Amino acid sequence: MTTSTLSTTDRIEKQPPAWTKMLDLSDRALAVLLLAPAALLLSLIIVYPVLRLGYTSFFSLSLTSGLPAEFVGLDNYRLMIDDPVFWETTWNTVLITLITVPGALVVGMALALLANLPFRVQWPVRLSLLIPWALPLSFAGLIFAWFFHSEYGVVNDVLMRLGLPGVIWFNSPNWAMAAICLTIIWKTSSFMALIILAGLQTIPRSLYEAADVDGAGRVRQFVEITLPLLKPSIVVALIFRTITALQTFDIPYMMTGGGPGTSTSTLAMYIHQNTISFLDLGYGSALAVVMFLLSMCVTVVYLRIIRTKG
Amino acid sequence: MTATVTQPGALSGKPLRAIAAIILLVNGMFPALWILFTSLKTEAELTLKPISWFPHAPTLANYMQAFSDQPLHLFLFNSLMVALLSTCLTLFISVLAAYAIARLNLKYRGLILSAIIAVSTFPLVTLLVPLFEIMRALNLLNTWIALILPYTVLSLPVCTLMLVSFFEGIPRDLENAAMIDGCTRLGALFKVVVPLCAPGVFTAGILAFVNAWDEFLLALSFNSNPALRTLPVGIQLYQGEFAFPWPVISAALVVGIVPVAVLIVIFQERVVSGLTAGGIKG
Repeated sequence: MTTSTLSTTDRIEKQPPAWTKMLDLSDRALAVLLLAPAALLLSLIIVYPVLRLGYTSFFSLSLTSGLPAEFVGLDNYRLMIDDPVFWETTWNTVLITLITVPGALVVGMALALLANLPFRVQWPVRLSLLIPWALPLSFAGLIFAWFFHSEYGVVNDVLMRLGLPGVIWFNSPNWAMAAICLTIIWKTSSFMALIILAGLQTIPRSLYEAADVDGAGRVRQFVEITLPLLKPSIVVALIFRTITALQTFDIPYMMTGGGPGTSTSTLAMYIHQNTISFLDLGYGSALAVVMFLLSMCVTVVYLRIIRTKG
Repeated sequence: MTATVTQPGALSGKPLRAIAAIILLVNGMFPALWILFTSLKTEAELTLKPISWFPHAPTLANYMQAFSDQPLHLFLFNSLMVALLSTCLTLFISVLAAYAIARLNLKYRGLILSAIIAVSTFPLVTLLVPLFEIMRALNLLNTWIALILPYTVLSLPVCTLMLVSFFEGIPRDLENAAMIDGCTRLGALFKVVVPLCAPGVFTAGILAFVNAWDEFLLALSFNSNPALRTLPVGIQLYQGEFAFPWPVISAALVVGIVPVAVLIVIFQERVVSGLTAGGIKG
């Protein structure tokens, strides 16, 4: 407040052109003006759609039937509980989350520790962590579908050179799921590594020197110095990774299309199928409400952690 | 390069560094390199057993075919325009919002920041149905706008948080001086604060661009018109019903990777600092 009163009095002396006076707003009016575009956009793309989502989930609304929307209460949800594909895709989503989030953390940690070595030239290391992050998920899905190709894929080639039998990856639900999870871990671990690496570089070297003096080994130093100090950045990265894992779509869509059958289909793929392919907006909404609630749980945990931190 | 470094895992020494470098480089570069190799092979070379690693007789024929089989130039153009326009919109909106948060003593600052974080974790997938309905009602399906608006929301929280921290680093005296010289507050924002934060604004822009370039689900759902498809959606069209022309698909993938790869190579340091400072989204 003090700054604005000061500037107003100064401006009177200087006599700026009259039209700028119109733009000389109070702090409060200015705040409203500056936040308005963001608020408008968020109401159109998030707030209104969220309300609309809950509303539509109580209606039978199929664009293919051409019938007007009809209120059906909890029918969509009842249908969902009896729908084995809903349970299967939800389970697949949870499974992918449970495998790829810790997987990306472990691989990311290893990559970060390697990248933290005192290399003379830094840029190739940095670039090798940035490229997987920048590569679109859908591209990664296609590239790895080619990697895991049963006849001409490089993965089976390497396996065979090592004397192991090749695998027909996309014919069995388990191998297909394994291929998908490996791809997701590859794609997401680099970002994890970048976050952890940034954390590693803020840990003062003197801590390790002191531990050396005390005779603590490398493993013990890692567990007692590195991990606790990295915890804050790891937690935040893990929460974001969890939320994006719950939305997994691109990679399975590109690699298996959900197959064989629906064995690698995710909840996001099922929502997309019901909404865009079947144009069953009512059922698609009910499915989306479930995913919404799943990720809200994670967000609430996140907000609580942030609040306790500061 | 002394060997006295005692970092965890840093079992110092040259051989270890060499092994580490190889692991990092193979992990990061091999998939992209492999696709590059595949794109230079002929269909005949691709079906050799055991598979060939390096292309025997590199050919650019697959690139020609990638452009002639599908309107790849249109996919590229759509992706570029959607990404650029949504980046500009994101920057404009987040500069204004970030300034309000950083400089005006807002009454509900905490609440606004919480709301931004909540939006940053918001699963846009769940809004597929209502967004589809809205875009249909506004007659925006099969337009760039149908993608630009959600993509802007996708990057808005990260960019705003990043810019807030940049703006807070600019001394208020500079703005006050500008205002004494007859600038309005808004004038001071665009003439003093934004230029001083140009590197930060630019970094936020790169993140927004990459986010928009990567997006697949909404582009797949809202823009089914072949002339309006973005790259990730268009690239699927190369697969026939039974055939999967991998060399041609690889060529199209390489074309799609190059623009972002160039950005990343040129601005790598800035991108890393942006990602690790304010923007947490992977």
